[in-house]
Amino acid sequence: MAGANADTHVVIAAFKEGKVIRGVVAEVVAAGYPVIVVDDGSPDDTAAAARMAGVSVLRHPINLGQGAALQTGIDYALRRGARHIVTFDADGQHSVEDIPDLIAALTHADIALGSRFLGKDAIGVGARRKALLRTATLVSNKLSGLKLTDAHCGLRAFRATVAPALRITQDRMAHASELLRKIQKSGLRVVEVPVTVKYTEHSKQKGQGGFQAIRILFDYFFRPS
Amino acid sequence: MIIRILMLAGLAAIGWLVFLRRNRLPIHIVIVFGLLAAGGWAVLFPEQTDDIANYVGVGRGVDLITYIFEVAALFTLVHYYTKFVELQRQLTDLTREMAILRAEVERAQKPPAS
Repeated sequence: MAGANADTHVVIAAFKEGKVIRGVVAEVVAAGYPVIVVDDGSPDDTAAAARMAGVSVLRHPINLGQGAALQTGIDYALRRGARHIVTFDADGQHSVEDIPDLIAALTHADIALGSRFLGKDAIGVGARRKALLRTATLVSNKLSGLKLTDAHCGLRAFRATVAPALRITQDRMAHASELLRKIQKSGLRVVEVPVTVKYTEHSKQKGQGGFQAIRILFDYFFRPS
Repeated sequence: MIIRILMLAGLAAIGWLVFLRRNRLPIHIVIVFGLLAAGGWAVLFPEQTDDIANYVGVGRGVDLITYIFEVAALFTLVHYYTKFVELQRQLTDLTREMAILRAEVERAQKPPAS
């Protein structure tokens, strides 16, 4: 069983996730996927906590941002000969069970994006956060020209062959919008796959609020990519 | 007259610093000293800046200098912002390369754990 998933590399970007990362990584490893954890210069023990058999731990000596960490993991996955690459959040909000659905979708698409709003439940999501996510989706659809139900889900899968077209240059949080624009620009076949997102107190704390949205928009427009 | 002495001393100090770091292109030094000379001249004969201002269609020399200063400040801002973004990109590339290299060295040192 482990062999079947061996060419799907799961990239997890982590910053200050020492408390939860071990459980998240262990779940993915148990499903038989090679895991690449990129510790984005955390001051805590994130890197040490993530270290276990079947996991490559990469460490940014300085904190660069989630976009940069993901791209580092993607580069490493490519060097390790990945056929499919999955991005997975470190805070435990995604389910490993959704990965096979994303990979299955890649038989007729180049990239599969997880969506919180396609049927499966978003567990523990408040009305305010929902409204914020809807607004973000609306803005991001306008920016990218794509029509998606959920623009900022960290769970995605894509073929290794399209990775160069999707290269992330937005080091911080604007990488999600950047990715969508690049999908649209290079005419990749994109599908959305319903996924379950578990909102915990921890993941909500780490999530982006409305105020950060302004910074993301600033990055998107004023940082040339 | 104290202000004139202070201004000229400041300009002279800048000139001295530029002279000390004269490892640049000669044209840069010529331009910097040209600007310093123009500054010194404006300090010594402020009323003559009015003539230039009138010539280019500005009321007072003070205004002209303010306008030039504003444009120069904006130019500097854009210049350094561009440099900053470029530096950050290089820093990202370098950090990434380091992280990957270290992981590959670690991997080579120990037999692959299953």
